[in-house]
Amino acid sequence: MAPDPDEELVRRVGAGEPAAVQTLVARKLPRILALAVRMLGDATEAEDVAQETFVRIWRHAASWRRGNARFDSWIHRVTLNLCYDRLRRRREWVTGDLPEMVDPAALPDAPHQEDALRVERALQAIAPRQREAIVLVYYQEMSNIEAAATLQVSVDALESLLARGRRSLQAILAGDGADE
Amino acid sequence: MDARRFAALAQAYGGDLRRWPEAERMAGTVFAASDAGKAILKQAGTLDARLDSYRVDAPDKALHSSILQAAGRHLVQRRRQWFWWLGLGLAGIGLAGAVAGLALVTIVTPEVQPDHYVLDANVTAFGDAGPDAENGEENL
Repeated sequence: MAPDPDEELVRRVGAGEPAAVQTLVARKLPRILALAVRMLGDATEAEDVAQETFVRIWRHAASWRRGNARFDSWIHRVTLNLCYDRLRRRREWVTGDLPEMVDPAALPDAPHQEDALRVERALQAIAPRQREAIVLVYYQEMSNIEAAATLQVSVDALESLLARGRRSLQAILAGDGADE
Repeated sequence: MDARRFAALAQAYGGDLRRWPEAERMAGTVFAASDAGKAILKQAGTLDARLDSYRVDAPDKALHSSILQAAGRHLVQRRRQWFWWLGLGLAGIGLAGAVAGLALVTIVTPEVQPDHYVLDANVTAFGDAGPDAENGEENL
């Protein structure tokens, strides 16, 4: 098993070293926030999820022991679970309607952000498991083995999720282009 | 690696071979040089370019500070808990010591006879010369 690059840092966080806490936040916050933003499509909710993830890190750092997964995979799993809780709550409150989308044309730097918004909308429109797979492998740059472990699926199942997800995205984005 | 596997990998992981499974990257690089490989990667790269446009802003300072403050509060709380458990542990050890000491004193210390019992003449062989003794003397 390859060494976990975060293991020593987590041990120091568990021992209550303030410098280690700062290093861990600087190292992991951008990744956690990016994951939550892309999973939820909502920056405010994503910030809440990032804060909750860190509360769990502080709570478990002292007792955290590496099992089969690296620390980075573990925090990704924690973040994804928190995102799922919110997505479930959304489904309970919003009956079938997609959240209101921002009109890209109304934004000041519309041409630049238009494509990003389309991708964001397309990502929110595909199945959550496919979205998870694409976000972990494509945006979080996890290896196939790490992503499969985080999603608790086999590598073959991960590949299937990725391929179906990319096909769906392509279809949605192609449809978007055809509307213009 | 054949064209079918190459295409399946490109469909799953995209056109950048750095995202591909490590074990298949080398064979993929060789195949990528072929015309079929180039065409497959070009197609996958179109979607990659669109995905790349979706960037997420870096976390702002307020969020960063808020998380550090929460960490500070958690550390203080944990230290308090630690001292509380330490205090409880020490109190427990003290109590256990006291009980053990008491038990030891009870076992080791000989039983002290009360003064009146020691001085009671009736406990001697000659002391309990009651009415029966007097009768005996008379019978002689």
